[in-house]
Amino acid sequence: MKDDATFHDARLQELAQRLGTRAAERLDVERTAQAVVARLREQARAPARPSVWSQPAWLKIAAALVVVAGAGVVARGVWPARPGAAAPVETVDLSDMSAPQLRELLRSVEQPGAPEPVSSQDVGLEDLSPAQLRALLASLETET
Amino acid sequence: MPPAEPVAAVPSPTDAALIAAWQGGDEQAAAELVRRHARALARFLAGAGAPEADLDDVVQETFIRAFRAVATFRGQCRFRTWLLTIGGNVLKDAHRRAKRSRVVPLGDDLRSTDGDPHERAVAAEAEGRLGEGLQQLPRLQREVFLLRAQQGLEYEEIAAALGTTPGAARVHYHHAVRRLKDCLK
Repeated sequence: MKDDATFHDARLQELAQRLGTRAAERLDVERTAQAVVARLREQARAPARPSVWSQPAWLKIAAALVVVAGAGVVARGVWPARPGAAAPVETVDLSDMSAPQLRELLRSVEQPGAPEPVSSQDVGLEDLSPAQLRALLASLETET
Repeated sequence: MPPAEPVAAVPSPTDAALIAAWQGGDEQAAAELVRRHARALARFLAGAGAPEADLDDVVQETFIRAFRAVATFRGQCRFRTWLLTIGGNVLKDAHRRAKRSRVVPLGDDLRSTDGDPHERAVAAEAEGRLGEGLQQLPRLQREVFLLRAQQGLEYEEIAAALGTTPGAARVHYHHAVRRLKDCLK
């Protein structure tokens, strides 16, 4: 520090070294130490549980999904669907349906006012959704 | 009977050893670190503008934050220097909260009741002007000045703690000294 010309300003140095000394001397160090230990113990007993979304990795993943979804929406707006392209077929997973729902579905197929059963000659079986397959099966059973 | 071997003085554990012990669950290691550094931290905080009434709270909060983040301390500087920089952050947050709640703390000389009032006022005057001058400095200049002039640290140590270069720390210090000299004229 001796090479530091400005540090030879004795008055400033003396004042700086005295600054805060009286306040620091009045600090009860032992009491502070015990208080810090008590607070640390308290915090250890009740550890904070950060939510999943407060973790950076999850935030990054969520942000990436939002970007991808947003890009998809924009792309659909920019490039309209091709004229020949088939509309997406809405399928129903029978395994997700409850027993009452399945019974209701079968009843609706068997009712006279129900839509025309699908004929096996119209389409390939691989094109049918599970619900359509179920309806087809029911119509075959009524024919026999 | 052979002469008794001289009892070797037990060296006090280093800060690094105490930190490791605390991380292993030793509460007394944490208490020892507080005992070792609390007064220097309090001096630094008081010099940086912490009101004396809040000093104990700010010191405690600084240690709590330091122990919580101790895994991020890589020994780039001494533990005490790292602690002082955390204290600077805690003080900044406390000032922000105080501004919001519009609490105006009394000065040391007005609150203190011990000693001769006239002597106390004379002794506090120059210190008070330096304190006021420090409050007008940008934070980095203030902290570099205190770390250098009050705590006696080298520029390399200050730079490592504040994430800057020794040259930049030197420049901050010189700017601070120039402005503080103007305050004391």
